[in-house]
Parts: sequence; C-alpha cells; structure tokens
Amino acid sequence: MERVVEIVPEAGLHARPAAKFVETANEYDAEITVAPTENGEAGEAVAASSMIAVTSLGVKHGEKVKLTAEGEDAKAALDALGEVLSTPEDGEK
Amino acid sequence: MRTVTGTGVTPLSGLGRVVWYTDELELGDPPEGIDPNLERERFEDARETAEADLESERERARERVGKEEAEVFGAHIQFLNDPQFAEGVENAISEGLPAEHAVREGFSSPIAQFEGMEGRMAERADDLRDVRDRLLRLLTGATGTELADLPEGTILLAERLTPSDTAKLDPDRVAGFATVLGGRTSHAAIFARSLGLPAVVGVGEVLHDISDGTELAVDGEAGEVIADPDEEIRKRAAATRDVEIRAEPVTTADGRGVEVAANLGTLGELAGARERGADGIGLFRTEFLFLDREAPPDEAEQYETYREALSAFPDGQVVVRTLDIGGDKPIPYLSLPESENPFLGERGIRRSLGDDSELFETQLRALLCAAADEGTLSVMFPLVSTVEELEAALEVVEEVASDLEAEGLSYELPELGVMIETPGAVFMATELASRVDFLSIGTNDLAQYVMAAARDDERVSGLHDPLHPPVLRAISRTVAAAHANDAWVGMCGEMAGDPDLTELLVGLGLDELSMSAVTIPEVKGRIVDIETSEAERTASQALDAATKDDINEIIDQ
Repeated sequence: MERVVEIVPEAGLHARPAAKFVETANEYDAEITVAPTENGEAGEAVAASSMIAVTSLGVKHGEKVKLTAEGEDAKAALDALGEVLSTPEDGEK
Repeated sequence: MRTVTGTGVTPLSGLGRVVWYTDELELGDPPEGIDPNLERERFEDARETAEADLESERERARERVGKEEAEVFGAHIQFLNDPQFAEGVENAISEGLPAEHAVREGFSSPIAQFEGMEGRMAERADDLRDVRDRLLRLLTGATGTELADLPEGTILLAERLTPSDTAKLDPDRVAGFATVLGGRTSHAAIFARSLGLPAVVGVGEVLHDISDGTELAVDGEAGEVIADPDEEIRKRAAATRDVEIRAEPVTTADGRGVEVAANLGTLGELAGARERGADGIGLFRTEFLFLDREAPPDEAEQYETYREALSAFPDGQVVVRTLDIGGDKPIPYLSLPESENPFLGERGIRRSLGDDSELFETQLRALLCAAADEGTLSVMFPLVSTVEELEAALEVVEEVASDLEAEGLSYELPELGVMIETPGAVFMATELASRVDFLSIGTNDLAQYVMAAARDDERVSGLHDPLHPPVLRAISRTVAAAHANDAWVGMCGEMAGDPDLTELLVGLGLDELSMSAVTIPEVKGRIVDIETSEAERTASQALDAATKDDINEIIDQ
C-alpha cells in the first residue's frame, strides 16, 4: 500500500514535524518507508521508524514524499502519517 | 580592552566573569574482557534514564521557553530510540566494546552524515551530539560544568551549546553567553532570545583566547564580545542587568505619561523587547521582510508578520514604518538604480510612490487587514519631505481601503504618521501634522540631513550628533507643530535610547521614546524620577544655547 503526500509544515520533514512523523510511525506494526520524490519519480526509500534516516532526507515544505506500508494496520498507519504531514504546525496558517 | 565579533542573537548586553563550559567526556582506551550482556544492560538503563530526563526537560522547557521550542526534546527522544543508532551500538557491543565506547561508535556516522550537509541540516548534528553526550554522561558519571548552578554574573563561554545546555541556564545567574560555533538559527540562539539572554554565537577560534575569570561584556545587538571592557561599555552592559524591569507604562514623578517603546528589526527581537518592559513597538522596520530573498513577500506573509508583532503587544501600540529601501541595500528583484549618493537619492516614500508602488500597495493591504484584529497598529511613512508626498501616500491608503471594502474583506484604517527626518519635513511640520495622527522623529537621519554630515563617514562624526543646536531646535519645532495640531509626537533613533538625554527629551515635550530594547529599563528608571517643570527648564536652556558644548554642560548639571 502506498500514498504520495505533500509536506505542509513550514519546517519541512525536519525537526518537530519529523519527530512527530517518526513517533506516529512507531505506533503501528506495519513496515513503513518514506521516499523523497522529484518530478513524480520516487527516490530511495528509508525506514519511517528512524529519525536519523527520515531527517537526513532533507525534504522541504511543499515537496512530496511517497509513503509505503506493509502489514495489518497499513491503511490506518498511512492515514495517520498523511494527517501529520498535511497538518500545519501550531501558529502556521 | 579587546573586542572579537560574532553573530549577535539578542538585542541585549550583559557583563560578567567568564566561566568556560567544559564537558569532560574524553573516553580512555576501552578495557579488555568485557561482558557484552552486562554492557547491553548498562546501555538500556542509560537509554531509559535519558528518555525520562528528556521528557521532564521537555515539560520544563514548555513552561519556561515555549511549547514549540520544547519540541526539540521530542526530536531528541526520537533520535535516542532510532533503530539505526541502536544497530550501531549493538554491533559495537557485540565486538566487545563497553557501552560508552559503543555509544560513541553508534553516533559517529550519523553525526558525520549531518555535518556534511548544508544549513539547517548541519544543525541536526548538534542535536545528535547532545543526545550522545547525555548518554555518555549517564554511562561515565562525568558531570562537566554544572550549568544550573553557575555563580551569579557568569558569562558562559563554550565551543557550542546544545538545546539542553541552554534550557538549563538561569537568566538570573547567567549574564550572557558566547560560543565558538553556531548561527542565528541554531537552537542556542532561539533559546537565548526566548530567555532574554545576551548572546553572541559563531565567534570562531579566537574565543579560546579569553580565559576563565576574565571580565567580559557580551553585546548581543552589535555581535561583540569585549574582554576587559572600558567604563562606557561596562556602564551600558550593566544597565541591562542591574536596572529594574518595569513591565507597565511609566509616568514622570508628577504624573506625565511617556510611552517607552522598542525599535524592531526582526520578529526575533520581539521577546527581548517584552522582556525589557517595552510598552509597544515605536519603530517596526519592515526591510527584513524584503531582504535576502528572490521575490517579495506576498500579502499573506506580511499580514502574518504584522499579526505576530501585534499579538506580542495586545495592550500596546505597534508603529510600522513602510518599506524604507534605497540604493544602499541591494535587492535582487527590485531595480534599484546605482546612486552616487544613495542617502540623497530615491529611497523611502520616494520609491514607494514611484518604482515600488505595487510593493507599497501590497504592504498597505496587509497592514490595513492586520489593523482589524487585536492590538493597535499605526503606520508611518519614511523620508517625507513635502506635503505632496504625504498627500499622495494618504491617497494610496484611501484607494487600498476602498479596494478592500469592495472585496468584502475586513480591514481598519490605522493611525497614520510621518517620520520627520529631513529639514524639509521640519519646516513643513505644521502642515504635515494637520494631516496625520502622529509624527515620529528619526534622529539618525535628521542629524545627518540637518548637519549635512554622512552617518557612516567617521571624518564628520563630530558633526553627526543630535546635540548640535540646529538638530535640537528642529526637534523642538517638530514637537510644537505636532501638539498644536492634536498629533502626538515620538522619537525613534539612537538619541531616544540615551538615558542621559531622557530628561531633556521629556522636557522638549516628546510623548513617546522608541529605542533598542536594551536601554528601555534604564530610560524608564530615569522617567519616574523626572519632574516635568525641571525637565522643561533644562530643555529651554538647551534650546537657547549656541554650541554643542554649552548644551552638554546644561545636560550634565
């Protein structure tokens, strides 16, 4: 199961939003990966459970990532992660 | 006296004695014959303790620094539990390393990875070091400098400060800090601003030349670190530390209210301004919104910025100066003509009514919309020298208002004012004041234009002084013109923030003084002791004086 999501928080997939993303990913049993995309092409995927790996992607606000999830709660995981990535942080519009 | 420079991150100065921050985390060679199972247990224990500590520090930072900033500790918890790091540690322990060496191993490649990246990504390396050192301290029992327990009046010097380090600092004990590394957006800088701590970062290796116990001033506004400071610098720095902070508006001893506001160049300075007891913002320079970028900020971005300033001062006034750009600051998306003498060329309102008219309209739209929400917004125009310019600017405000009306957007007309910076504006102050709600005297430019002495030319710096009689008389004439037309009159510029001139300025009749936040406490302290009648006597003597020396003598009395 996969989904492409645009990064809404101003900070990008970085710092606080990244922490929230990884925290959420770890709440599910599904194997989840995240990959940066460029012109619709997905790059190398990394484990969504690793803060180091997720942060090092350097994905910025307005860019898109491809999420994949395998496992029983894959759909719920993708829903929750999609929500994290498309919700602005407190104080942002 | 010796001065080194870095990046100032707070508009505050501090004075104190140097304590170098050391965290002694040197690990010796790993011992032989270790039990990997025992080391795994030690590592797990340390990790659990570290996580619990991070949770409680997150809680503490939420209360002291702010909810958003506290989330850096949330990120640290995720780094701590990272499978990539756990794998590195596990491999090292299996190879026979003790837990502390394994932790160092496990972090080394992720830290190197982030260090090799650009800009904000490189700062994640600091986060990882912070998490690593936390674990190492737990595993080795090393404590390093006790940050929560520094002697009063400490200036902390460090290679770098991590967020956990900075969050531990007690602003009542620490007079400021300076670091070898770090930039304006580093966590240490952000925390320093929130805590109202004087700080200079990124000073470089020369910082190491300053030894423990040295008397040191840290000027977070100029970005200077000054060892063995002279009397003047000590006075200025001490002013920000020892003076009582008055958070409420003040009056003179006989009850005349004088508003004391802050000059603002970026939103980052808002916290420092509040911290120092500003009643509001008397000069919000908007240039920072337009510099260092490829395209101008849109209406929404500007609106948000003005809102943020207003929400910091819900009970005060925020006076925004419209864009004041000229040939001295290059902006890629504006066609700024090269000018032989940018200070006498096309700048301020001249450009807003000319080449930059679209930017001007967008800015006014954002300002009128922001004025409709909480707080009191005022808008003033820079470098006006004729009544025609003011009338043209007011016409644009009217047009923008009727556009917003037609679009059904909610807006409000703010108080409108003129900056008095040119001799032309001084001579026409009556006519200008009768058309607006307030005048604001920009003394740096006013002195430059009245004295025909460039601000940045050291050879004429003696002439560029607002205490020359012509400048003082120009100020007095402006105040009289404003009051005769029911307009209030303020002053922004260096002169307003000089505590030794506060009595003179109150005597001249100024209703508002706006300055760098750092001098606010001392100026407020002076105001409460002033008797208006005495101040007026001083002012009238100064206005009669023929020379700057005579004026200085009158003030010193």
